[in-house]
Amino acid sequence: MDRIRLLQGTLDLMVLRTLATMGPQHSYGIAGRLKQVSGEALDLNQGTLYPALVRLEQQGWIKGSWAKTESNREAKYYAITKTGRRALGQETEQWRRLAGLVEKLLAEEP
Amino acid sequence: MGRFRRMLARSLNLVFRRRAERELAREVASHLALIQEDHERGGMSPEQARLAARREFGPVEQTKERHRAERSFPWIEQGLQDLRYGFRGLVRNPGFTAVAALALALGIGVNATLFSVYDAVALKPLPVANPDRVVRIERWFSSGFRGDMQYGFSNPEYLYLRDWSSAFENVVAATWPVPVRVGYGEETSRASLVFVSEDYFVALGVAPRLGRTFGSGEDPESVVLSYPFWQRRFHGDAQAVGSRIGIRHEVFRIIGVAPAEFTGTSTMPLVPDLWAPLAAVREILPGRDWLHAEDQRKLQLLARLKPSAATRSAQAQADTLIRNFTAALRPPDPTIAVTITPTSLFGSSDDSRFRLFVAALLFVTGLVLLVACANVANMLLARGAGRREEIGLRMSLGASRGRVVRQLLTESVLLACLGGTGGLLLSVWGSTLLWVSIEQILAGFFGEVPAFAIGLRPDARVLVYAFAVSLATAFAFGLAPALRSSRFDLDGDLKGARQLGASPIRRSRLRGRLIALQTAVSMTLLVSAGLLLRGLLRSEAASPGFASRRVLLVSADLGDDAAQSPVRERRLIERLEALPEIGGSTLGSAPMSGTWTPPIVIEGPNSLRAESTGRTLASYASDTYFRTLGIALLQGRGFTREEAASGAPVAVIRESTAHRFWPGLNPLGRRFKLDRRFRGHYTEYEVAGVAADARFANLTRIDPAHVYLPTTAGHVYPLLVRTAASPRESLEAIRKAVAGSDQDLLPSLSLQTLEDGPVRVQRALARYCAIYCAVLAFLALILAGVGIYGVLAYLVSRRIPEIGIRCALGATSFQILRETLGDGLRPALFGLAGGMLGAFGVCWALRMTLVLPGSSDFFYGVPFYDPATLSIVAAVALLVAGAAVAGPAWRAPRLDPMEALRRE
Repeated sequence: MDRIRLLQGTLDLMVLRTLATMGPQHSYGIAGRLKQVSGEALDLNQGTLYPALVRLEQQGWIKGSWAKTESNREAKYYAITKTGRRALGQETEQWRRLAGLVEKLLAEEP
Repeated sequence: MGRFRRMLARSLNLVFRRRAERELAREVASHLALIQEDHERGGMSPEQARLAARREFGPVEQTKERHRAERSFPWIEQGLQDLRYGFRGLVRNPGFTAVAALALALGIGVNATLFSVYDAVALKPLPVANPDRVVRIERWFSSGFRGDMQYGFSNPEYLYLRDWSSAFENVVAATWPVPVRVGYGEETSRASLVFVSEDYFVALGVAPRLGRTFGSGEDPESVVLSYPFWQRRFHGDAQAVGSRIGIRHEVFRIIGVAPAEFTGTSTMPLVPDLWAPLAAVREILPGRDWLHAEDQRKLQLLARLKPSAATRSAQAQADTLIRNFTAALRPPDPTIAVTITPTSLFGSSDDSRFRLFVAALLFVTGLVLLVACANVANMLLARGAGRREEIGLRMSLGASRGRVVRQLLTESVLLACLGGTGGLLLSVWGSTLLWVSIEQILAGFFGEVPAFAIGLRPDARVLVYAFAVSLATAFAFGLAPALRSSRFDLDGDLKGARQLGASPIRRSRLRGRLIALQTAVSMTLLVSAGLLLRGLLRSEAASPGFASRRVLLVSADLGDDAAQSPVRERRLIERLEALPEIGGSTLGSAPMSGTWTPPIVIEGPNSLRAESTGRTLASYASDTYFRTLGIALLQGRGFTREEAASGAPVAVIRESTAHRFWPGLNPLGRRFKLDRRFRGHYTEYEVAGVAADARFANLTRIDPAHVYLPTTAGHVYPLLVRTAASPRESLEAIRKAVAGSDQDLLPSLSLQTLEDGPVRVQRALARYCAIYCAVLAFLALILAGVGIYGVLAYLVSRRIPEIGIRCALGATSFQILRETLGDGLRPALFGLAGGMLGAFGVCWALRMTLVLPGSSDFFYGVPFYDPATLSIVAAVALLVAGAAVAGPAWRAPRLDPMEALRRE
């Protein structure tokens, strides 16, 4: 099976959702989670996350802070903020409507 | 909300770039470490784990770059980075930077100088409140006459317009400056006075510095002083306000002093000494009916537009009102239109001749800037060739071509700004110099250096101009080299473009062309300057053809009464002729004081061509004219006393004119017709005499066609007096005689020998034209020389290895010398030839302006193919090019081959 190409803007939603369900994560953790969920199907260098992270942080939807991992290494942990949760709700709604629409259109094919 | 936060965060990151960069590096490092740790736990060796982590993470630099693009504004960030980089580059090469900036400073400085003078004269607004709403009212005559009279309106016209127009908030009037004598008894001095309407100061929004200005119902015996006059005569004493001052035996009260920045509103920016209300005309100029006569157009009108009024409708209103008013009067030259124009300090700045003059000057200074640009472009090109490895490295690291071009252009802009700053400093100094020379010329016109209202402090407009020119030059000299330097194949250049045979710098066509262009432009300027200088020499030597040192031009204001003034002039002549210091006097046109070139028709079997029309200079002469001015009569006779009184249909023509119209024939008794008023009404004249040739219209050439017509009694003509004693004694005697009999002529009396007046103006013009052009040509030549030297020296230094090898292989010094010389001189020679053509074009254009017999020939009859000028100029240009080439060429064959090879 070919790898999935990422749709514009969907990465932001995935990152938000990941942080909402799993609590604060560093970028490696987020990347691992996405890999795990997609079952290796996502065409994603881990570095690809960085632009999305800075964008979300600047919008105030997530907040990063330095902390120690269990193995006592330092890492930047991102946590979703209150506005981030609200935005996640809106974005999820948006995505569902869009996906439903696309699904409907595709299903109509004879 | 989120978008705004993001903008803010991105902007902050511009400032805290370093912090953001550190944070990013830290995060990426920790990310890599985490992956590596996982892999090590999974059993990989540390080295394997590190590589795997790298693979999983992806390209680090690209990630960082994309992070940066999101984090901040990449364009601005890169721009700042380019600036820093460019700045470092300039500092690293101080020699290159200094020479390039100096070249640009000269080019920009010359342009900024000219612009600041233009700005001071034509763009500065009138010194009144809200000058953009103040307009000047101007009339257009059916004859098409343009001089100063189109700004003149009579008092009745003014009152009519003021009272009936609705588009103007107010209309104010001011006369031209009138000469008066102020003070008492022997202690009088000359001053200039302007009569103004009572609301003049208030309506223009000019608040007094001291005291008050005129109000409505003003006492006609009150005056307001100008600031310079107050300083000069009262030494800035505040007690002056309220004190009394004598003007023409009447006592006036000083009610106030105008502020220093208020320099008057006349079309010529001369600061008057005093302002008086219009009603004071009666006391100061008794016998003048300026207030009621409809034909006394003595007032210049300014109007302030109502905030709601459109310029177009205001103009239509003024046009209708004035034309309706004057139509009933049936004036000899009817007004066909009235327009309103925006005001500037110099009233005639929208005159097409003035514009043409400015355009010509801008063109010449533009040429110097062009040389400077070509110069710097060439240096950048040579430098770009040397920077190929650096640029190649950057491009192979992922910089796009656009990015590299942008970076190189940023450097050019930096360089141009440096040059522009230097140029601005130069222009402050240069415009002062230029202004001094302009004042000298004007002093010849006005007899003394008048108080000009022009300040040459560079203002915001000059700054903006200099900045715009700098930016434009940055692109002019930077774009081509930037494009050229960034276009190459990566492989070859990185592997060592300096390998023999593959050298991309050996010969560049663009570089050769730039050298040729510089040489051509400097050559054009040089030839023009050379011809002007030759003209200058001729002008110094030129004899005008009349006794300019012994003839005085006597002028005085004889009043407006058309019947009385000729009588007064006649009386004045009689009194002067009685003086022993005077050797004769005459009435007639004064030389070099304006031209009159009516159409002339030569017809009949007498002339060579059956009928020919053309234009000729014409002027008036009385019976004593030729004797007084010392002009020899070669054939026939001068005018008789009767002819000079009746304006008889006879004429005395110049020798040149006889040759032109009746070549090879005896001109006496021939006839020609003259359209004296340009209306198609021809009057016939018979040639009575032939006078020797002279330079009458201007000093630059013998008048090609000139006829004298006899004067008519009852008209006023300029009064010319021949001195029998030294000019100084004669001046004294005349002044005393006038003071004894015609007291009221004294304030306006002006006495000057023709040499000190009109002839001096002509000589000064020739001198400053030549100096101006020579300075520019010199600058261009220096620039071109430095440019050629710089480029060639650089090229030789880049070719050291090649030369070394060739020497090692047996090439003789002579071969190398010849080749290097050729490299530099070949384009210079092409440029020389091109410059000759350019000079030819300039001369042709200047010659095209010689359409009328009265036009000035700036080259004083020196032909453009003047072999002396051309050969001297070519020699100078070759010398400079040769000197520029010689240094590098001399060094080339003397390089130690081993030393050269070791460098590889």
